Formats: sequence, C-alpha cells, structure tokens
Amino acid sequence: MTTQHASRRRTQALAAAAVVAGLLTTTACGGGGDKTSGVGYDAATTKVVNAGTTKGGALRFAATQDGDSWDTTRSYYGFAWNFMRYYSRQLVTYKTEPGKAGATLTPDLATDMGRVSDDGRTYTFTLRDEVSWEDGKPITSKDVKYGIERQWAQDVLSGGPVYLKDILDPDGEYHGPYQDESADKLGLKAVETPDDRTIVFRLPQRNSDFPQMLAIPSASPVRQDKDTKSKYGLRPFSSGPYRFESYDPGKDLQLVRNPQWKEASDPIRKAYPDTVDVKFFSNANDMDQRLIAGDYDLDLGQSGLSPQGRQTALKQHKGNLDNPLSGYVRYATFPQNVKPFDNEHCRRAVIHGADHLSLQTARGGPVAGGDIGTNMLPPTVPGAQGVTYDPFDMAGADRNGNVAKAKQELAACGKPDGFTTTIAVRNNKPVEVATAQSLQASLKKIGIDAQIDQYDGSQTSGIVGSPDNVAKKGYGIVIDGWAADFPSVQGFGRPLWDGKYVLESGNVNYALIKDKAIDDLFDAYAKEPDEAAKVRIATQINHKVMEGAYYLPFTYEKYLNWRGGRLTNVYMTDAYNGYDFISLGVNSAKSSKSSKSSQSSQ
Amino acid sequence: MTAGRRGKSRRPVLRSGPLAVLTYLIRRLFAAAVMLVVIIMVVFGIFFLVPKWTGVDIAASFVGKQADPAAVEAVREKLGLSEPIHIQAWEFFKGIFAGRTYSTGGDVVHCSAPCFGYSFKSEQAVWPVLTDRFPVTLGLALGAAVLWLVFGVAAGVLSALKRGSLWDRGAMVAALAGVSLPIYFTGMLSLATFAFGLKWLDAQYVPFGRDPGGWFGGMILPWITLAFLYAAMYARITRATMMEVLGEDYIRTARAKGLPERTVIGKHAMRSTMTPILTMLGMDLGALIGGAILTESTFNLPGLGQAVLNAIRNQDLPIILGVVLITSLSVLLANLLVDVLYAVIDPRVRLA
Amino acid sequence: MTAPLHEPTAKAAPSPVAEAAPGAVDEAAAVGGDTGPVQGRSPARIAWERLKRDRLALTGGAVILALIVIAVLAPVISNLVGQDPDVFHEDRIDPLFGTPKGSLGGISGEHLLGVEPVNGRDIFARILHGARISLLVGFLSALVAVVLGTVLGIVAGFFGGWVDAAISRVMDGLLAFPQLLFIIALVSVMPNDMLGMTGSSVRVFVMILVIGFFGWPYIGRVVRGQTLSMREREYVEAARALGAGRLHILAKELLPNLVAPIVVYTTMMIPTNILTEAALSFLGVGVKPPTASWGQMLSNAIDYYDSDPLYMIVPGVAIFTTVLAFNLFGDGVRDALDPKSSR
Repeated sequence: MTTQHASRRRTQALAAAAVVAGLLTTTACGGGGDKTSGVGYDAATTKVVNAGTTKGGALRFAATQDGDSWDTTRSYYGFAWNFMRYYSRQLVTYKTEPGKAGATLTPDLATDMGRVSDDGRTYTFTLRDEVSWEDGKPITSKDVKYGIERQWAQDVLSGGPVYLKDILDPDGEYHGPYQDESADKLGLKAVETPDDRTIVFRLPQRNSDFPQMLAIPSASPVRQDKDTKSKYGLRPFSSGPYRFESYDPGKDLQLVRNPQWKEASDPIRKAYPDTVDVKFFSNANDMDQRLIAGDYDLDLGQSGLSPQGRQTALKQHKGNLDNPLSGYVRYATFPQNVKPFDNEHCRRAVIHGADHLSLQTARGGPVAGGDIGTNMLPPTVPGAQGVTYDPFDMAGADRNGNVAKAKQELAACGKPDGFTTTIAVRNNKPVEVATAQSLQASLKKIGIDAQIDQYDGSQTSGIVGSPDNVAKKGYGIVIDGWAADFPSVQGFGRPLWDGKYVLESGNVNYALIKDKAIDDLFDAYAKEPDEAAKVRIATQINHKVMEGAYYLPFTYEKYLNWRGGRLTNVYMTDAYNGYDFISLGVNSAKSSKSSKSSQSSQ
Repeated sequence: MTAGRRGKSRRPVLRSGPLAVLTYLIRRLFAAAVMLVVIIMVVFGIFFLVPKWTGVDIAASFVGKQADPAAVEAVREKLGLSEPIHIQAWEFFKGIFAGRTYSTGGDVVHCSAPCFGYSFKSEQAVWPVLTDRFPVTLGLALGAAVLWLVFGVAAGVLSALKRGSLWDRGAMVAALAGVSLPIYFTGMLSLATFAFGLKWLDAQYVPFGRDPGGWFGGMILPWITLAFLYAAMYARITRATMMEVLGEDYIRTARAKGLPERTVIGKHAMRSTMTPILTMLGMDLGALIGGAILTESTFNLPGLGQAVLNAIRNQDLPIILGVVLITSLSVLLANLLVDVLYAVIDPRVRLA
Repeated sequence: MTAPLHEPTAKAAPSPVAEAAPGAVDEAAAVGGDTGPVQGRSPARIAWERLKRDRLALTGGAVILALIVIAVLAPVISNLVGQDPDVFHEDRIDPLFGTPKGSLGGISGEHLLGVEPVNGRDIFARILHGARISLLVGFLSALVAVVLGTVLGIVAGFFGGWVDAAISRVMDGLLAFPQLLFIIALVSVMPNDMLGMTGSSVRVFVMILVIGFFGWPYIGRVVRGQTLSMREREYVEAARALGAGRLHILAKELLPNLVAPIVVYTTMMIPTNILTEAALSFLGVGVKPPTASWGQMLSNAIDYYDSDPLYMIVPGVAIFTTVLAFNLFGDGVRDALDPKSSR
C-alpha cells in the first residue's frame, strides 16, 4: 500500500484549500476551464458535479499502473478497491456520497448494518432478496463465508489485507478453504451460515471497527465452483453490475454490463455507463496529455497528474481539476535498531534539523504536494488535529528547520559534531528521491552526513520490511508514506505503531516502536463502543507517537486530479480518496473523440 | 558472428552445393542450440544467485505488505527457490518440452508446453505473454527496418558516389547526429512536437487485427524515431563499404569493359555492399525483436520491451528470463538466416 | 554488432572496420604494416598528417580535450561561479508548479544554465559534474573492453585450435545476448556497498565493468582476425624461423600492428558507452543521487519537457555534443589509419 498513491480515508475540506485556491487564481487564466461543464476548480471535492442519470456510453480510464490484483482477496491498492465495486459486492459498503459522508458505512448485500449481540462479539447479517451472480444463481451466505475464508489461504492468495483473519482466528487454527477437510470447505468456526440468507460472525474479542473490515473487498463473496484460486484475479466472477469482458495484464481491461444484476437489489450502484474500459500506459506524460485532450476520462490510479500535465492543466483547464487530500501522510522514520537512532535525542536532532518547507517543495509544493505535516495522524482520520497539533513547530517558526535546537539535541545525544547515516528511499517515484535529497541537504547543515540509498520499490517487504536487513544496511532514516486501510486510528496506525506488529519480513513498524502505553491504548480502542471515546483515544495515541520522536512527518499529501469533461455524477469520496468510480456516468454527446478512443482503449 | 566471413580458415573449402548447405545448416543449428543452453544457464545464474549474495529475498517480495513467514515460505516452495540451482534449471528445461505443474497449498497451476516459466506476479504462463506481445514488437522492428534500409542505404550510396560533395558532408553530419542522440530524447521530442503540439499524428497503439489503418497511423512516429537512429548508422556503413567496393579491381574491370555506370553500381557494387549491411540487419533485427525497451516505453507500445521493463521493475523473474531467451533466440536465428543468405548473395562467401 | 545494446547504443556499430571495410579483416594488410615505406614516412606519421587535414575530426578532438579539462576541473569551475551541484535553491522555484521562476528555466547571472525544477540546484554545476561520470564510464569501460578484447583476441588468433574455438564461441554468445536488458537487471540486483565503496561509486564501478565486459567481443573479433592473418605473414614466419619465442613474436611483431584497429575501435566505443550510461541512468539504474549524471538529468527533465524545456535541452545537448565529438574524431582516426580511404 505504501508504494501506491491510491488510498482511502476521509478528506476534510481544509481552510488551506481556500488559501491555495486564492493563490491559483493569480496564475491560472480564469476559473472556467471546461466551459461546457459549468463547474470549477476543486468543485468535486465536496459536492456532486454534473449530476445526471443518463445511461450508456463507455467510461474510459487511463492508468500507468495495473492493479496489484483484481482478485478481491489479493489487492491492497486503494484504486483497486474503489474499482472492485463494479464487479463485487460486500455485506456493507461505503455510501455513495461526496466527501466525509462517503466514508460512512451502509448495507449492501445485507439488509441492515448487522445485529450486534453478546457484548459486541456477535454480528448477524441477513442477505437481500434477488442478489445474484453473473450466471443468475443467487448469492448465498455460504458464498460470503467462502469468500472471507479465502483470506486464510495466504500461501496461495497473498497480497491482500488479513484483518478478518486476525480478528476471527487470532490463533491461526483454520488453514483456509484449500486445505479444509470438511466436505463443503466451510470449516471456519467463527462464521456460521444457519441458512442461505443468514450469516453470523462470532468474534473471540470485541473489535469496534469490525464492520469497517467487512467493507473491504477482501470480504466479498466468492463462489466455490468459480474459484480459480491463484488465477481468480484474471477473471473474477461478478456479483456486481459489471462483469469482466477482457483483461490483458498491463495492457487493457474491459468490463461490460452484467445482465443478471438487478438494480432493485442494490441500493448503492447506479451503473450508468455501458462499458468500463481501462488502458494502461508506460509513459505518464503521454497519458496526461491524452487525459487533457479528452481521449480518456480519468486516471485509474487517482494519484494526480505528473508535473508537466499539472502545469498544462492548471493553466488551461483549471475547471477540470480537483485538489483533494490523498489520505497519505508522507514521512521519514528512524529505525531504533540502527545507531544512533536508538537515542531519542538523535532522532529529535533530525526532526529539528530538517527544512520542512524544502521538504514540502520537494514533494510538489502546497497544491501538488500538500500541507506541511505536523503530526502523524492524517486529517482524514477521526481524532486527528491536523496542523493545530504541531509539537515541533514544523509549520510555524521552525518551518525552515532550527539549527540551534538540532545542535542542542545532538549534544544531548553525545554526537555534538553530527554523525553519518543512510537514508533509504524507494526508487520508483522521482518525488521520493527528491524528498530524500532535500533531507540530505538540510541535514548536512547540522553535521549529519546522510547517504541516499535507493531500493527497488517492489522489494519493500524484504528490504526495509526486514529489521535485520535494515540494521545490516544501516538505514537510520527510512522515507515512506502511509494511508489508512479503513477510516480509524486502528486502520491507520496499528500496523505502524503497535509493538505486536513487528515482523521479521514485511514489517511496517520500521521504527520498531515497542511502547506498552501505545499498545494498551490500541487495545482500549478496540474494546471501546463509544464513538466519542474512540476519537479521544485516537488523539492520545497520536500524541504518544509524536512524543517519542519516532517520525518526521513531511506532508498531508494532496494531489491534482483530472476530471474529464464528459463525466457525470463526479465527486470525491473519503472512502477511497478519489472519485467514487461506481457512481460515474458519461455524457457521450460531449466528446467527438469518444468513439475512436474507446476503440483504442481496450 | 558471421562465421562465413570470419578470418581465414585453413580448412578445406567446400563449394556450395545442396549437401554442403545441409551440413552447414545442421552444424549452425547445433551451435545455436548449444549457445541457447549456455545463455539459459548464465541467465539463471545471474537472476537466482546474485539476489542470494545481495540478501534480497525474492520470495518475500512476491508476498507483499505484512507478509507472514508462512506465506513467504509457501511462495518460495511454489517458485522452487529452495531447490538447488541445477534442479531449478533442469525443471525449467524440462518445462519447455513437457510443460510444468506448480503446486502448493492446494493450488495447482499447470503451465503447458512450451512452458518458459510462470509469472506469479500476474498469474500467467510466460509463453502466452511472449506470443501475445511479440507481434507488436515485430511490427515495430520490421516497419522501422524498411524505413532505415531504404533511406539509410540510399543516403549512403549517394554519399559514396558524390564523395566530398556538399550532399556527402551534409548527409554524414546528419547521420552522425542521428547516432549521437539518445532515442528516448528524440522519441519524447517527436511525441511532444508531432502528437501533442501539432497534432499531426496520433501515436496511439491500435492492434493491427482491429484496425489496420489505425495501427499504421499509430506506428508512424515510433517507426520514424527508431529508423532515424538506425538509418544514420546504415548510411555511414553503406558509404564506407561502397567506397571500398568501388576501389576493387572487378569494378574497374567492369567499367573498363564499358558496362553502363548504372549496371556497375546497381548490379556489381551493390551486391558486395549489401553483404555487411545484411549482417548488421540480422543482428539489429534480432535484438530489436527481443524488445525495443526505450522506444516501446516512450510510445506506450505493448510489446516485449515494455513487458520486460515492467518485469524488471516488479522483479518478475520468469518474464525477464523469457524475454532474454526470446531475444537471444531471435538474434541467433537472424544471424543464421543472414549467413545462409550470404551464400546466395555473394558467391565469394564459402560455407566454411 | 550493435545488436545486443539495441537502441541506445545501436550506433555502436564500431562496424566501420569490421564490417564496413571487410578488407580490414581479410586483408589485414590494409592497416599499418605492409603499405610499406612508399614515401619514406612512418605509418603513424602518415596517419597524423592525414588527421591534421581533417577539420571535422580536429574539431571533435578539440571538443573532447575541452570536455576532459572540464571534467577534471569541474569542482574548480563550479567554485569559480560560486555554485555547488548539490545545493538547493528553493527560493528560485515557483512553489505552485515546481518550475524555476523567471523565463528560460531560471537563467540568471548566478545560474548560467538555470536551475532544476523542484529543488533549484544549479544546472551548470550539475552539467560540469555530470561530465565526470560520462567520461569516466565512457573511457574506463572502453579500457576494460580493450584489455579483455586484445588479450583474448590475440590468444584466440595466435594459438588457434580449441582455444580459438572456445573464445570465439564465447564472443558469439555475448554478442547474441540482450545486453541492455541484462545490464539493467544486473545493476539492479547489485549490492549497495561493496569493496569499501558506497553510493554512486558502486554503481559507476559496476557500470564500467559490465559495459566493458559486453564490449570486448567487438574488439576481440577484430584483433583475432588481424592476429590470424598476420600469423601467416612472412615477417612473422621469418621471426619464427629465426627461432623467436611465441611471446617475443607477440610483443614485437603483432602488437604494433594491432594498435591501429584498437585505436579505431576505442574511439568508436567510447560514445557508445556514454550513451549506455545515459540510458541506464535514464532508466533509474545508473548513478545515485545526489550525484549528477546527464542521463539522469534527462530522465528527470522528461517530466518538464514543455513547462521547462531548457532543463531537457541542456543535458540532451551535452550528450549529443560529446557523442558527436567522439564520433567525428573516431571517423577521422579511422580514415587516417586506413590508407584506402583517400581524403
């Protein structure tokens, strides 16, 4: 997830956005952009743009990157989760509403949000009538259970989130459907299916975020006779309004209508376009040009235009742009198993020494990069305080760094003359390297000599994800980013900060935080049924993390998102921090190029 | 490379005849097969041993975020990474002829012959990926080759005939410029100018089968860009060779006999000039067919080069291995073909 | 020939001698040796006189010399203009677009070629320092190729038999190898620190070795061919008849005659290597930041091709000029050493 931009989590339209918008009008010609759409800059961040219910046409996505997998069980990319709603349904899902409301849950396959009993440890759902697979057979509770069981088959279906597996079977007693001894392959004890319409979850321990985990596509139903195991991602069997027509990895993908899907059975999906086409590009600049030219409607990755496209679009088509939060916090973290970062003062020295404004510029400035991050909880997670909590004065007086304070901390750390270390950074995004270079330059001023080591971005889990390897390579500073898997402090911070989540390989608690106070707070959060109390705990956790000086946050990331002129019903949802794909329609009359491009987009 | 031309052989010389051609062919085919085996072994060594030294765990990188050790182990088993290297290599060889089955954790994946490996990143057998992308690259390479042969050779011949003239100087400086520019630079420049700026050409790839006209239109820019580089090279070689040939005795003889200049150049001189050109063409085509990485990634052409670049970024070893092999194979085959053609074109060449 | 490195280096075709002038191989006579002292001047002298008359080649040579001086003196020159290649100047950057303030990529008296987008590093200083990497990789990898190619080529040609067969097959194999692909893959699995080196030094070292390693068969083939044909020549036969040892023959008789083709090939190979380095850095497997390299600059600049075209043009022109200079000079040297071309 960290390698990808695509993300989730709610956006709060910040006051900063207004400042930025003001700034923009000075450089961009008018605010009109696409005159015909009659909308403006950043319009779709908070409301629905081009509301319309016209059916038909081809919705054309362009992408520089294929999904990690189109198998609902195996994906961790935010944009893929967003896209999966076209062909998969869950018991509950996110509302199709703009902004913050889009991140609240609503029943999908289920008739309600579940009946909770047994002190919050039992959830019972009933399936709707007339929900069916693409071959017309009804979707049963057993299909839902089987789909969830697939999470246990990590040896075959690696890559996706395993929250349900961890919550429902913390001791790892079940071994997944492929090694299931029972005849119906439904041996998972924690889930019961008394009849075809009813499904009961029995949690060993209460977890107040459980419904959130059911909304992740990895909780989608999968039909046993259609499960092609490791190959399922090439041709998932549809439970939603569209089904796979063709898919050629890295080249193109096309969805067509699933005639068996009944609109009456689905309160969420509108299914306006006739087909959904995706075309993959290897040259991002080429892709941006074609988006701007109208050959394609939007970017599948929802990661923003590249620098060239950004400039063209801001100058000539400002009205077609939105500037939302991506849900990511970008930061550097300090593995404590690399000296001298075992010493809190040396960590503080780096935080004080960093030039936060320079880091922000390296990440693309306030518009394309985002506001200076002052703490680790992204503004989209409940309990976050945004820039009002700024313990290191990063967005204030010390925005260019504070050499004096940094030197003090260095002295306290016993390294008054500085030290040498290595910054580890992924090589697959120029902006990452630019960030590392900015940090390198400002650390030089306080006597810290940092080498930059670029590692293969596809190898994260084995390189920075292995504490042994980190120690061996001497990675004192790891540059990374993180977004929540679901909108809560648990969905964002537990893998990063909970001492129990330190792993031998695939670790993401790079700082190796093992703080009992933090662990206890996470446990308390999971047990807490009261929303207001949950928010308070989230704030406390964030404070604990910042007080330990484990992280140097850079930005609360933002991006410039292209909104094609043909799109109808466009809005940003905080559930996916991108346009809500499932609600989009196209106004075919608008672009003369549509027919030609849809041809080449397959 | 070109065995037929290399140095002097002290072996008795065989005159071309059907039998000689056959033995020659068999010998060359055998050599090519041996070469391919060696290449497979070297590639295997590099991709499977080097990560071991450098401490990169290939299996872990396949599992992704928050990998639990059991999952890594399972992937390792599926990939056969825990087997000794020679077993892995043998399994691979066997798969080419007999197909291969990967199984673990109740999942069985069959990869039918010819199995050149299986990509666990995209869950596809390598061979279909190669055959699917091959036509794109072939179209790119052949189209560009036609362009650069026509223009490169013509410019070279003209330069040689008008040596020292303004045309000669100009053409040769242009040719030097052509070979001195990185192709991703010319590619992006031409894309920015002709596709985005002037909008003369739309360099979008459309499969030939769907719309031949669209395919042709989309290929024009990539062809020209690629051909520019090679035409420059071919013009230089042609000029040098032609000048050389024009100084040979048999050309003087032909002229002395009073043959018209057109015949001298067109029939006699061209024939010898084409020999080295053909050698180069064989190798260049062979290599390009293995993937024009930079051209394909600049122009978003879904060919072998793009596939392999993605594979390198994803550390998708089976695909890399497959493309390396197919490239080597096409270079070997192209050379073989050229050497055989030699015997036909140039009677001086013997099947040594 | 060019083949394995396909596009970026395709030009490689140091073919001029090998293929373009078949005579060079089959009639090694051509180069050096037995043109005989017709005019009573040494072959080297003849070549020099010819080269002197070739203005294009001389221009190329002058540019090369200038580049070498620039590369060696890069830190001094950039100090003179008061610029460090790694220092950020964010005050020169428009925070909205990340592009340099002012027209023409931020060119000013202070920043002679403007500044980089995003971080505002001085492009002039980076171009100067980039020349070091380009020339270092260009020259040293050519050296590796020349040493390997000469030694193995002579061994193959001189000893013949199975030694020759083995070496020739290895050369064929290497030439059939998808080089660029292979180099990319190899560089990307290389460790970050080895032999006491870290950062960019490792990458530069690996690039030199690998590019050199894939380059030697080109020279090896020519040297082998020359050796093979010279071995049969009268003066070698004579030396042998007089009881000269093999080593002696190698050193005294063969090496001097191999100088010409080796020189020609080297000048042809250097620009190819420079382009390969640029391509590798372009693809992200070359030098590491903050080290400046032309290829890497070009790669970053592609994202600004329209909004800050100067950023793309400067390294593009640098690569072009350098490669062109080497090619012009190489052509001149070839013509000068080849008595058949009568310029």
